[in-house]
Amino acid sequence: MLKIDRYAYINRLCHVHPVEKFSFALLTMMICLLSSSPLTSLLVILLMAGLVILPARIPVLFYLKLMLIPMAFLVTGVLTVALAFTKDPCSFLWAVKIGGYMFGMTTGGLIAAGKLFLKSLGAVSCLYFLSLTTPMVEIFSVLRKLRLPPLFIELMSLVYRFIFVFLETADKIYIAQASRWGYATLKTSYFSLGLMLSNLFSKSYYDAQMLFTTLLARCYTGELKVLEKSYSFSRKNLLLITAAELALLIISWWSGASTNF
Amino acid sequence: MRDKNVLEAKGLNFSYPDGTQALIDINLSIPRGKKTAFLGPNGAGKTTLFLHFNGILKPERGKIYFAGQEVCYHHTALLELRKKVGIVFQEPDTQLFSASVRQEVSFGPLNLGLSREEAEERVNEAMEATDILDLRDRPTHFLSYGQKKRVAIADILAMQPQVLICDEPTAWLDTRHAARIMELFHKINRAGVTIIFSTHDVDLAYSWADYIFIMKDGMVIGEGAPERVFCDDRLLEEAELERPWLLDVYEELKRRGFVAANSPPRTREEFFLSLAGKESCSLAREERKGRSFKRECLQGFLGG
Repeated sequence: MLKIDRYAYINRLCHVHPVEKFSFALLTMMICLLSSSPLTSLLVILLMAGLVILPARIPVLFYLKLMLIPMAFLVTGVLTVALAFTKDPCSFLWAVKIGGYMFGMTTGGLIAAGKLFLKSLGAVSCLYFLSLTTPMVEIFSVLRKLRLPPLFIELMSLVYRFIFVFLETADKIYIAQASRWGYATLKTSYFSLGLMLSNLFSKSYYDAQMLFTTLLARCYTGELKVLEKSYSFSRKNLLLITAAELALLIISWWSGASTNF
Repeated sequence: MRDKNVLEAKGLNFSYPDGTQALIDINLSIPRGKKTAFLGPNGAGKTTLFLHFNGILKPERGKIYFAGQEVCYHHTALLELRKKVGIVFQEPDTQLFSASVRQEVSFGPLNLGLSREEAEERVNEAMEATDILDLRDRPTHFLSYGQKKRVAIADILAMQPQVLICDEPTAWLDTRHAARIMELFHKINRAGVTIIFSTHDVDLAYSWADYIFIMKDGMVIGEGAPERVFCDDRLLEEAELERPWLLDVYEELKRRGFVAANSPPRTREEFFLSLAGKESCSLAREERKGRSFKRECLQGFLGG
């Protein structure tokens, strides 16, 4: 997760208008989810992988590893769709008989599972595209433009900032404990971990109070007003995005399975 | 006419909710346009006092005056005070709330009700002064401690306060970064901003401050110009402070007659200059040749 955050700030698409990236990722994800053609899903996966690896210059190996993370959930989830459990003995590709019931895989189930698999992976790759190319701060500014309640966005940005302070503190405590044999045996490990968690809790509480004081000292009146970075829209990018979305729409239409629209 | 003292405390008492008496009958005046240092051990009440200076804490008894005016504690008056008196806190990680350096620095100016353009200008000026322009688009969590410290200072500078308070500006910094921060303060001070800082470093306070307060156990136990405060051995002992090395060396050289007995030097450079001055006098008198007198007198000092 921290690596994704790091790449978000150093990738080559970092300077593209966040609204462009945000709307591109979201529109593509909608098309991918609404279209029932597996071809569309496959195209979305390839498109996003291409964009992340070529113009954004994210290392291929890192991206593949990232794609493996949802795979574990997907495979188990999809298996339950592929397997069927009925009394009807027909149309099974492979089955075992348990009592009066048949348990196995049907062609329909397998196709549905495959479609679902590709669709989910497509949607995930859209989100990966967004999070690998757009820093969190810019995503917040897009959400602000979308008129989300300020309180919500302020909370999100504070949480984001303090995740790092929290992790750093946890790391320091861990090192301090480990250097004094705090994690030598299973028993001491549990004990040290408990101490660390309670310390982190009280430290976070203290930090929150201190943060409020420091904000007050800078004339805080209940709203976290900040300057946002100004980007200019690129006509070329907007055209490319429209073209890509239209192409995806046409393809999913043409592949004849756009019944879900 | 503007008051000579920018901040004053009269009969200031404060205790925390848990009962610890943090400040006891503090009476002090902070000169305008100067660099004032607060010295004292941990828990002496320096931070608590600073929090009174911009109205974060309200005195239990006693009063605070800003530019001769008593500080009021209603909303708008407090905002006005905080606009003029800025505090840089010791721990940058609790002060920096934003993940973006630029947004972080822009928070103060925008709170002052400035327009986007004005705020933008202030942010750029403050980042230039603290030498962090190249960090503008860097996320806060990628920064080193020294960089975070400079961002924390830029935070306050961007609000262009009349008084800049800095709690332990050089804590945990290496000597090079500490010197850079002190130079920055010097620059800000020359632009007319009153600087108040707390420190444990007697050498730093001796070289950089125009006026010094020494605190212990919630009380001010001594104040004055640095050369006076640091020559008061009883005061230093009471406050558990060491004498600056420069003063020690100077006194020893003076005792042995190697330097003229005028006012003690404040910085390393002044010290060497005073040695050089002595050198040229004695050269004229004794017509010495060859070896540098400065080296000789240091050798003499070390040898005997």
